[in-house]
Amino acid sequence: MMHDAALTVLFYAFGAFAILCALAVVNARRLLRAALALMFVLLASAGLYLLLGAEFLAGIQVLVYVGGIVILIVFAVMLTSASDLLEDHPSLGRMLAGAVASIGFLAFTGVVFARLELGPPAPGAHPPDDASAIGRKLLDFGAEGYVLPFELVSLLLLAAVIGGIVVARKTPPRHQPFTSGGDAPGEADIAMPRSQRDEPEGPHA
Amino acid sequence: MTGALAAFAAFGAAETATAWPVKTVAARAAEALPDNVWLAVLYMALALAGLGALVSGLGMGLIYLERKIAAHFQCRLGPMRVGPHGIFQTVADTFKLLFKEDIVPARADKALHVLAPFLAMTSTVLMLGVIPYSPVLQISDVNIGVLYITAVSGLGVMGILLGGWSSYNKWSLIGAMRGAAQIISYEVSATLALLVVVMFAGTLSLSGIVTSQAEGWWIWRAPVVGGIAFLIYLTASTAEINRTPFDIPEGESELTAGFHTEYSGLRFAFFFLAEFINMFVVAALTVTLFLGGWMPFHVGGANAFNAVMDLVPPGAWFLGKTALVVFVIMWFRWTFPRLRVDQLMRLEWKILLPIGFANLALGALAVLYSLYFFPGA
Repeated sequence: MMHDAALTVLFYAFGAFAILCALAVVNARRLLRAALALMFVLLASAGLYLLLGAEFLAGIQVLVYVGGIVILIVFAVMLTSASDLLEDHPSLGRMLAGAVASIGFLAFTGVVFARLELGPPAPGAHPPDDASAIGRKLLDFGAEGYVLPFELVSLLLLAAVIGGIVVARKTPPRHQPFTSGGDAPGEADIAMPRSQRDEPEGPHA
Repeated sequence: MTGALAAFAAFGAAETATAWPVKTVAARAAEALPDNVWLAVLYMALALAGLGALVSGLGMGLIYLERKIAAHFQCRLGPMRVGPHGIFQTVADTFKLLFKEDIVPARADKALHVLAPFLAMTSTVLMLGVIPYSPVLQISDVNIGVLYITAVSGLGVMGILLGGWSSYNKWSLIGAMRGAAQIISYEVSATLALLVVVMFAGTLSLSGIVTSQAEGWWIWRAPVVGGIAFLIYLTASTAEINRTPFDIPEGESELTAGFHTEYSGLRFAFFFLAEFINMFVVAALTVTLFLGGWMPFHVGGANAFNAVMDLVPPGAWFLGKTALVVFVIMWFRWTFPRLRVDQLMRLEWKILLPIGFANLALGALAVLYSLYFFPGA
């Protein structure tokens, strides 16, 4: 009884926190604060996964979204100069597009929730040791398995990785065909934006 | 006399011959919850108080050790004035730090500036909560332990990034960017090394990994790959905690103090403390995953020797091994010069990462064909 009460309290706490932070994401005037609020939304949803007993999913959620995606967003905000961009007076077209998109999504979610019957998960709905169960499902090529989607996703990720390398790779200057092509000290670009390096531009001899 | 000793040794062996029953504080609290709510609350309060004591004790102890070890490596004495051999120096420094004025730069983003050190500290404390210190001393054994550790350490990166960003200082910002880039790069290699142990142990739970090492520690029980994974993990996690030779995020000669340049007083103390306790966490994880955690050191067949080893309580084993790894990490600092940014990135992406992947593949083969050392000894 106590256990259920504690779970209910936690559920509403996580839910309220997620909603508040989600409001902060869309209302924050500074991009970086919006990114931070997004991190808390993702953490709160990881908490909800925990309440459902999906520990592995919660861990992956924090690892991938908080440790990866949000940090990438923060990096992008810091590296572009749009960080202190305050959208006080957006253009009419932008407001219109935003209104259409948000109302459309609201209608969509409304329809989905109206047609959906949500209840508590059936007892025993999740296996006790869910990490190994997920692993088995992913590599199972029977009717219940997910090996095809798994392989497709890994192919997609591989394509994304190669694309990233192609975009980020520096081509060597044409008159120096045998230079290392971005191998030597220029790799400092990974850690520092170009504008903040104090070395002059140009090929590294 | 000898009879009593032998009896005592036999008792020790009998005590430890059974499988190690692991009971965490969280399990005790959950057990007490249906009967007596307040007992469960007491357990939780005890766990929190223990964590607080651990954080402050470790912080002071490690800072004192660092200063003493640094001094002796350089043929100095180090702190000597406050207390015998200066053991109260860090206590005095802590009080000084607590009473210092807390300065927030005028153009800083105040909310983020205040939040950042707490994020860094939270991630550290969350990691302390799952480390198995001894069979009876672990706050919670989450069954995704290894995943939890890698996930939670991501929060610390956010603390560093936001601290550097919100300070409105170019040194802070550069330090934070370098720090975050370094941490998320080396996280990949560290995770690959962890996965080797996870494959061999067959579980993600940290206590489970410790108990899986009853026949031999993974550093040598996993043939060769264990040793390589250990080296990769130690290197990558030294980089993850921003310690020399990987301390470019706060390279004093270039960046003043890196991401915490603009911090003072209590908030600086938080960053500083988080950094030192992260070193302990890394050492503790290395011990848990590769060096048998709280398992005593056993030699196959040497029963008398093993019985003597069993007399040392598991908590002391854990502490001793962790202290050894902490010492090695401090030793690095006075042995290797600092790397340049590009050397750092090359070490990770061109050296550690390929070795890590090859090691993981070899480890998978070894597990598949059950090529353990001491199988079921």
